[in-house]
Amino acid sequence: MKPVLLIGLGNTLMGDDGVGCVVAERLSGHPRLPPQVEVMSAGTDLLACAAHIEGRRRVVLVDAIQAGGEPGGVTRFEDLSELEQGQDHVHHLSVVQAARLLQMAGGPTFVLIGVAVRSAEVSMELSPALSERLPAILESVLAELAEPAEN
Amino acid sequence: MSTLVIGPLARVEGHGGITVEFEGDTVKDIRFDVPEGARLLEPLVRGKRYDEVAPILSRICAICSVAHTLTSLKATEDAFGIKISPQTELLRELMTRGESIESHALHVFLLALPDYLNYPSATALAADKPAAVTLGLRLKKLGNQIQETLGGRAVHPVNAVVGGFGRVPTFEQIITLRSSLMQAVADCDAMIDLVASLPATDFCHSDTLYAALRSPHLDTYYSGDEVMLLSDGNRAIVSAPDYRTFTNEKSLEHSHSKHSTFRGSPFMVGALARLTVNPRRLTGRLAVAMKRLKLVLPADNPMDNNKAQALELLNDVDRALDIIEQLLRDGLKDERPVPVHPRSGTGTGITEAPRGLLVHSYTYDDGGRIVSADVITPTAMNAASLELHLRRAVEQCGERDDTIIAKRLQMIARAYDPCISCSVHLVRRA
Repeated sequence: MKPVLLIGLGNTLMGDDGVGCVVAERLSGHPRLPPQVEVMSAGTDLLACAAHIEGRRRVVLVDAIQAGGEPGGVTRFEDLSELEQGQDHVHHLSVVQAARLLQMAGGPTFVLIGVAVRSAEVSMELSPALSERLPAILESVLAELAEPAEN
Repeated sequence: MSTLVIGPLARVEGHGGITVEFEGDTVKDIRFDVPEGARLLEPLVRGKRYDEVAPILSRICAICSVAHTLTSLKATEDAFGIKISPQTELLRELMTRGESIESHALHVFLLALPDYLNYPSATALAADKPAAVTLGLRLKKLGNQIQETLGGRAVHPVNAVVGGFGRVPTFEQIITLRSSLMQAVADCDAMIDLVASLPATDFCHSDTLYAALRSPHLDTYYSGDEVMLLSDGNRAIVSAPDYRTFTNEKSLEHSHSKHSTFRGSPFMVGALARLTVNPRRLTGRLAVAMKRLKLVLPADNPMDNNKAQALELLNDVDRALDIIEQLLRDGLKDERPVPVHPRSGTGTGITEAPRGLLVHSYTYDDGGRIVSADVITPTAMNAASLELHLRRAVEQCGERDDTIIAKRLQMIARAYDPCISCSVHLVRRA
């Protein structure tokens, strides 16, 4: 099992919301993907990947984030608890809450790479603004993956 | 006039909340704002080839991706006159059991339980009562394992295709699933103990019309083409092509969702409806557990849907083991999917998603491309019934206390396990 897992999150039917999955797709088999990294997409259910997360040293999540700023801006979160407020919803757990639960159950270190998006409309494509920034987003994620895994 | 606004319940700002308008202490209007947008997604499949449709629509929701996939396949196979093999039918049923296990475990343990035990979130509950949350996570993982084994991926299955399966699971994979399921039998007993220990939630009582898939086996999420609607001893049967009889939807200003009624009455779908419509399956271990949970059918309390989900989870594990035994007894055959010969026409698929009836209905042209598509989710069907129960809860609350009302209404809405199916899933930064 590779020690690092990259998980792309989001709904690819909702335009920019699916940017995490697009990143995962682009990086799967990418020539510069470090050999210790495995890549998968989880849609919007991080807990569905629980069995794949077990035993990893580090999990890097990539998801759309509503944080203001220009679309495509990347923010790195190591402490997910700062994001936990305001993620409540009825049907499933937010990515942040799911990651916290897995952490509390003795899971790996999680890092969230949040990609700023302005809106999410019904579409199977990213918006032009986000598409334009995609190469820079991929570089940021590759830089995160190039860092030596902790422990 | 005064207004009580509760929400948002979903992750989309300004949507998915509850609004109660009072005149004095009397409820004038009550609304559950659902940003249910499955219909908005239908243009995405227009013009698509038959084998592209299920993979696209499975992405409506990660929790219900098996239900959307299999309902989509059922609709397409109906349109093309394809008869799947008994083995495919069993394997698909097994997939739905996996989805129900994971979805009910998520809902009962991580979404509903914090309400009952007065914790603001699953993570707060986990900090205090890790055993309960670990139990839920273990059951959810089992459900995901079943889906991934058969579907070929952790989410959005690709292995279930028109006419069958791309690759039939191996004998070894089925044996591994059996082993995991057998280990879960004790977890299910622990779950029933836990749910039986929760405080009573008598927030509202109301006669309820229930609707669920009716099948020859009386215990199925996948097979069957008739819906039974049942209330107070009166029953009606609607066949799949006539689904609009009960999804005669009315557009509403406050919701992207459309309200469904049957002969003017709201109806409830989901676990409680399934147990009510098909009561003959409530035997053995299930009957004992039902007694422990003090669940009496037909129920007049929507909160009982949480108990019904716990019962179903128990039954799902047993039923999945039965299916595996049958597959092993019959011998797993390395079948190829039934050959597809596209033709023009309309096909309808109805199944039971974890939270209730799900309808996909497609019209194809003679080249096998989608001309029109109709997707009606259980949350859309439940919307009118939920609003009715929310109203009854406020009316039966006694003296107006907005804190108590807000808590009760949120718990009732949660008990319906609504799926805001294509809402966006952005992480919000405070």
